[in-house]
Amino acid sequence: MLNTLLPILLFTALALAVLGALRRVRMWRRGRPSKVDLLGGLLAMPRRYLVDLHHVVERDKYMSKTHVATAGGFVLSAVLAILVHGFGLHSKILGYALLVATVVMFSGALFVFKRRLNPPSRLSKGPWMRLPKSLLMFAASFFIATLPVAGILPEGTGGWVLVALLGIGVLWGVSELFFGMTWGGPMKHAFAGALHLAWHRRAERFGGGRSTGLKPLDLEDPNAPLGVEKPVDFTWNQLLGFDACVQCGKCEAMCPAFAAGQPLNPKKLIQDMVIGLAGGTDARFAGSPYPGKPIGEHGGHPHQPIVNGLVDAETLWSCTTCRACVEECPMMIEHVDAIVDMRRHLTLEKGATPNKGAEVLDNLIATDNPGGFAPGGRMNWAADLNLKLLSEVKTTEVLFWVGDGAFDMRNQRTLRAFVKVLKASGVDFAVLGLEERDSGDVARRLGDEATFQQLAKRNIQTLAKYQFQRIVTCDPHSFHVLKNEYGALGGEYQVQHHSTYIAELIAAGKLNLGQHKGGSVTYHDPCYLGRYNGEYQAPRDVLKALGIEVREMQRSGFRSRCCGGGGGAPITDIPGKQRIPDMRMDDIRETEAELVAVGCPQCTAMLEGVVEPRPQIKDLAELVADVLIEDEAPASAKSPAAKCEPAEVH
Amino acid sequence: MSTKVISLVSIGAHPSSGRARRAEQDARAVELGLQLAGDNLQVVHAGDPREEALRGYLGMGLDHLDVLEQPAGADVLGVLGDYLRDAGAQLVLAGSQAETGEGSGMLPFLLAEKLGWPLVVGLAEVESIENGTAQVLQALPRGQRRRLKVRLPLLATVDNAAPKPRQSAFGPARRGVLAARTAEVVDDPLLAKDALQPARPRPKRLKVIKAKSGADRMKAATAKASGGGGKVLKDVSAQEGAEAILKLLVEEGVLR
Repeated sequence: MLNTLLPILLFTALALAVLGALRRVRMWRRGRPSKVDLLGGLLAMPRRYLVDLHHVVERDKYMSKTHVATAGGFVLSAVLAILVHGFGLHSKILGYALLVATVVMFSGALFVFKRRLNPPSRLSKGPWMRLPKSLLMFAASFFIATLPVAGILPEGTGGWVLVALLGIGVLWGVSELFFGMTWGGPMKHAFAGALHLAWHRRAERFGGGRSTGLKPLDLEDPNAPLGVEKPVDFTWNQLLGFDACVQCGKCEAMCPAFAAGQPLNPKKLIQDMVIGLAGGTDARFAGSPYPGKPIGEHGGHPHQPIVNGLVDAETLWSCTTCRACVEECPMMIEHVDAIVDMRRHLTLEKGATPNKGAEVLDNLIATDNPGGFAPGGRMNWAADLNLKLLSEVKTTEVLFWVGDGAFDMRNQRTLRAFVKVLKASGVDFAVLGLEERDSGDVARRLGDEATFQQLAKRNIQTLAKYQFQRIVTCDPHSFHVLKNEYGALGGEYQVQHHSTYIAELIAAGKLNLGQHKGGSVTYHDPCYLGRYNGEYQAPRDVLKALGIEVREMQRSGFRSRCCGGGGGAPITDIPGKQRIPDMRMDDIRETEAELVAVGCPQCTAMLEGVVEPRPQIKDLAELVADVLIEDEAPASAKSPAAKCEPAEVH
Repeated sequence: MSTKVISLVSIGAHPSSGRARRAEQDARAVELGLQLAGDNLQVVHAGDPREEALRGYLGMGLDHLDVLEQPAGADVLGVLGDYLRDAGAQLVLAGSQAETGEGSGMLPFLLAEKLGWPLVVGLAEVESIENGTAQVLQALPRGQRRRLKVRLPLLATVDNAAPKPRQSAFGPARRGVLAARTAEVVDDPLLAKDALQPARPRPKRLKVIKAKSGADRMKAATAKASGGGGKVLKDVSAQEGAEAILKLLVEEGVLR
């Protein structure tokens, strides 16, 4: 009896799964075209899954082992079950293999079950609470049904009662694991996830690579859409990527905006995109809401505008583009790309950049700097430094990219410190001076691709006039944009952050350094240096060379918490319950360090904005310049400070 | 409301870089026009239709902007007057003063005189338009507002008391059409015989504050600026009133 029932159940579920898969594929294909190597991606998929994805999951040992047992056991059980019970290949070996597979799966599922007993708030509840039971049921039912095949129990044991029980168990199991996989159940993550890995929009991320630069919009074609208005405006593989979300909430746990009580939760955002892709409301979402926004009031459709239907604009503007969510995501979903895509529509089509956004963008267009300062004042900070201008020397070894910090009095101290270091090392360096423009970072993160491209193209034109070996900058945002985003517009350069360059100078013995004399020091990793560019070591090497033993924060390195200053977040200024820099300062205070070393003008500004008493904030360049031992004229360095008369204040 | 609203715009210049942009006050005139007439707002510029800075206005959501082709230095008074009359404008909005060119701030006055329309300076808000009469709020110094009833057609200038202009977006700015129209060119005789030079800022009268306490200083700082002289006329006939005003104007050298 079981021999007729099981094949029917198995093949019905499989057929329905295939139907569901086709339906899901049609939903993804509503998206815009995207150039993807379809076959190559599929071939690379197993490796991406077993190696790249596993690396991310492996950070959580408990979950990685659980998942290996459960998923591995399931895949094996499913294949064997189809052979044994579907096609009736009742061989003893297959039977034993299936028994082993189900046992492995069952033991994995037990750990899934255990974690679900008291789940952390980041995990989604709802149907996800059912999943461990379904897994256990699937494994147990097939285990018992296979015992006769392996010859452990005689055929027909248990009579019709057992048949009925097994029938129900198998029905439950295959409904969740085959049918549910393509019809939107929790197991959808396996089906969509596998294809998402195969056709990922940033294939360079696999095999240890890094791909963090935003993709340019085509502004030449007047018919090309300017960003994403409706779910169908995403590319099809972005839609597929949203569908891969397993709702583990690792992004939510890391998101600085969520922690600050701003109305953003990366997990919910991705789930909202799934709602947009399939149509419906968020009433059935079983995870944490956007802080301050109740669930059940938003809904969407593939052809309806996303903003102010499915997602509120504030949600999109809360993001600091710190990429903590992307770094954590075990499914390698690209949250930041999606957010910037939607911001692009708001800024380029609707003119709806909130708060100071419009003013900053206008300033960038009219003065090439976000503050609207007269462009002629760009080099005022270096009036007495006799810096070489590229327009005069034409060629140099190191081009020092100053950045818009040139207009900020606090950052000018960093810049002057770095110039002191450069001069002490004796390297040949020059600056662009008044020819330099904003790198376009803020404009691009605020969604103004047009202004970004204009600034970038003009900078590239300027740079093309001169010869230099490399660009060095104290600003990780300029660094990232010059290094990773100018390439698509025709500007390929060797770019270094000043921490990397100073580390090189120290290693080459070009700097004569004393030892740091202040108190204990911790180091804050800037997002755009660390997560965006993988530079965690050089700043620590520099600090080590100064005799500093870094007191690491709990969240450091790739898990560093954002200072709140990226992505134009201080400009759009979406209110929350607390400020992101205050939270970061609490992280810093935990280390009991007296000084925090930073490597970014944004981080400096945000952290110094925290009210005192708090640890002091110093840029790496300042720390190095403080302990620099200069051979020539050591006396003259101290005298000007004493003569200084108070300037007239207006 | 089917009142024909037209906003006049010019090319602006950023105060610190001097780069061409949409003019701040003119953008406010467009904003007010959009709030009043929506898609029916007509926007016009007299000058060069190839000037890209005009797209800054299109980016506010206009599908087209009429440009009366004029070379630099031409007198646009007559051309604009004819255009406004032919278009049947009921309410014309303009910035108080251009950021480029002569920038004398005289155009609205000369235009109103030429058309024979009333002029409201410093328009802050249009409250209602009924039966050919507009009820508007005029901005006065120190945040004061004066409610005026003015018959249409009406010319009004806006300054920083008018609503802030909306953001100019790239998409609509790129799609919008700069519709060039040929227009008669009249040379400005003023430019032919006189040279332009930047205005010197008027010296500020020094304000001596004799206050002793904080409260006195506060009072002095917030007090209305008041001239020393003048007299209040009450219950006088129109004839007497007009004579008093005329006498004052002659005394002050406004009329000769």
